[in-house]
Amino acid sequence: MLSVNQFSLTLGQQPLIQDLSFQIQPGEVLSIMGPSGIGKSSLLHFLSGTLNSSLNASGQVFLDKQTLQDRPTNKRKVGLLQQMPLLFPHMSIIENLLFAIPAHIPHRTRQQKAQQALEKLGIPDKANALPSELSGGQQARVALLRTLLAEPDYLLLDEPFSKLDPALRRDVRAFVLEQIRQSNIPALLVTHDPEDAKAMQGPCLDLKPFKMKN
Amino acid sequence: MPFHQHAFLKFFDLESRCFMPTKYRKMTTGLICALLLLPIFAGLVGTLLPAFHYFPPLGETEFSFTPWQNLFSNTEFFASLKLTLITGILAPIMALWLALALLAWGYEKPFFRPIENLLAPILAIPHAAIAIGLVFLLSPSGWLVRLFSPWLTGFERPPNWISVQDPYGLSLIFALVIKEMPYLLFVMLASMKSIQARDSLQACQSLGYGRFTAWRKVLIPQLYPLIRLPLFIVISFSLTVVDLALIIGPNTPSTLAVTLFRWFNDPDLTMRFNASAGAISLMLIIIVVLAGWELSHRLLAKLTRAERSNGKRRGLSDHLLSIGTILACFSLLIGLLALVILPIWSLTKRWRFPDVFPASWTWDNLERAAPLLMELTNNTLLIALVSTLLASIISLAMLEIKRVSHGSSQPSSHAFDWLIYVPILLPQIGFLFGLHVLLIHLNLNGDLIAVMMLHFLYALPYVYLTLKNPYLAYHQAYLEQANRLRPCVWRNYLTVKLAMLKPALFTAFAIGFSVSVAQYLPTLIAGEGRYSTLTTEAVTRAASGDRKQVGSMALLQTLFPIFVFWLALVVPPRWTKWRLAFKSLFIRTTRA
Repeated sequence: MLSVNQFSLTLGQQPLIQDLSFQIQPGEVLSIMGPSGIGKSSLLHFLSGTLNSSLNASGQVFLDKQTLQDRPTNKRKVGLLQQMPLLFPHMSIIENLLFAIPAHIPHRTRQQKAQQALEKLGIPDKANALPSELSGGQQARVALLRTLLAEPDYLLLDEPFSKLDPALRRDVRAFVLEQIRQSNIPALLVTHDPEDAKAMQGPCLDLKPFKMKN
Repeated sequence: MPFHQHAFLKFFDLESRCFMPTKYRKMTTGLICALLLLPIFAGLVGTLLPAFHYFPPLGETEFSFTPWQNLFSNTEFFASLKLTLITGILAPIMALWLALALLAWGYEKPFFRPIENLLAPILAIPHAAIAIGLVFLLSPSGWLVRLFSPWLTGFERPPNWISVQDPYGLSLIFALVIKEMPYLLFVMLASMKSIQARDSLQACQSLGYGRFTAWRKVLIPQLYPLIRLPLFIVISFSLTVVDLALIIGPNTPSTLAVTLFRWFNDPDLTMRFNASAGAISLMLIIIVVLAGWELSHRLLAKLTRAERSNGKRRGLSDHLLSIGTILACFSLLIGLLALVILPIWSLTKRWRFPDVFPASWTWDNLERAAPLLMELTNNTLLIALVSTLLASIISLAMLEIKRVSHGSSQPSSHAFDWLIYVPILLPQIGFLFGLHVLLIHLNLNGDLIAVMMLHFLYALPYVYLTLKNPYLAYHQAYLEQANRLRPCVWRNYLTVKLAMLKPALFTAFAIGFSVSVAQYLPTLIAGEGRYSTLTTEAVTRAASGDRKQVGSMALLQTLFPIFVFWLALVVPPRWTKWRLAFKSLFIRTTRA
């Protein structure tokens, strides 16, 4: 379970988010909505440990019983999926997948895992294809599976559907939800689109612009 | 983790976004700047002190003005100075004129694309090789006269002309123009986007302005500030070049740089005082010429200002551009012929005068010269590979520091962007002999390390400047994602970031490589003749008249940079495909 306690964010003197708390169960997707510039992406950066030093954030993050907020990024086991699939263009699909599978796993198992991922994607014949040979929807799915193959403890989704064709979005959303449920890890989705939040079938937080209380 | 490894990690800020301590950044920047400036500073001091008669190795420890008095009473100095000014000023003017004309004529036309793509490999050709080819082409017994003899000229034997190494330096100017015009064209093409040339040109043409008039009135005034620095580099090069002038320039008197070169190498060691004073005055002359150039540009801009907005859609001076175009095409053709003649001479057995082609061909020249050529090639490649590799690593380190400190506006990394031009702008003759004194002190004279370090000094600016834009434009999110997926920062930096930057890395390497291959003076002075390269040997033997041997050397000297450039063009886009094909082949055979 991923829990955030009393998260506050200020930019210089201006408070953006105050005292935000939530919990996400394994296999569940919490959606966070709100207008741009409200600090949604900064929340993601805070959770992944890459927050820009010009922003001030406070609050606690727990993964089960462990505190996360003091750990550097590479000690957090966080998965992040962004607008761009960021598949490495100079590696084949299977190499992109293998890249993420932890090195301590024996060679043969690694190969099997990558092959299974390709089957799941329905493109077992594209193992040696380059990312540029796949469609946008396929790239997004490969990117998700690649992130999950790294065996993250929790997953952050930063508007991963916004660059996709509207017709494709529904399929990719369903695929994403199914995979998160299978991996059974908590996931946080940041989005503009209410449809995204609805499709994730989880709780939804709507962030409002912060007003000074008088 | 051992300390040094830890420190390296911090140098490169591979743990994305967790900034490395400023201490390391400043230290690295300082170290590299020192590496760059120390030899130059030492060289300048080593030239400045003897110019005032202070030179302990010869037992002179009292300052005086005697070197200057000797210099100013030397008639050869003034004769050389005159030649230097003629060639060093006319060549950049011609090169600028022809490059502008060619660009104005061909820009955005379909046939111009292939020329644009050819420019980089043309720039890679060492200028000594072009000069040698020009001598083979233009001399009284050269190919050009042969092509037209005897049917047109009636010559049965070479005429009595002085068409190369002429006393006015015209052939030297021509060689300089052929070398510099493509460079200026290359630089201009790179600046076309930032002045939005296409839009301006369309706007002008829809107002009824002729193509050349639009260039003259609108585009060239905008373009000039962007190419000022490259122009200064060209001017400085023209005023101080040694190897080109040795091959095709006038002698007795020669240009100032060559005269100084001879004085420095004079068995009479006291000539060093004169030479040092001359080198200092050559540097002052560069400053004066650059100032004069800038002043005349301002004046010209002021004079033509009113004419630009007088509304006339055509003008008489448009013809300057038309004439320039014709001359530019002619020069390019001559340059091409100069390259074609190199392999012909290296394969020639017998070639009597008015024949257009050799009467008989042979591999013997190459075979006979093979041991020597092998040794020269070895030296050339070893020096070029090591120095360029080092330059690439240092450039990557500096660029990574620049990327990290981007936004924090650290003055040290901005200073580096200016310092990097110093080795290019400073005349080699001005500080290399001074540096030689330091090398003797350090017991590094005639050492391969010293040669490589000097080549590194000249390769670094080009590698850094080529790599700069692509490196800073890299989409860092790829590397950050890689670091989340696999916690090996070093491996990710190499296999993701650098692997994705392959095209830029290859090109930068090719440019650094070709710069190193072309170096003459640094190799000669640091190597003290113990380490000859294809370039030093070709320049030294150019005057020998053994065209078959010199042609072979110049040919090899040209082939290597072109080959490396070709690799840089062909390999990166196909690399992944080839790698995957190779891999699948391997897997299939092991399974079978």
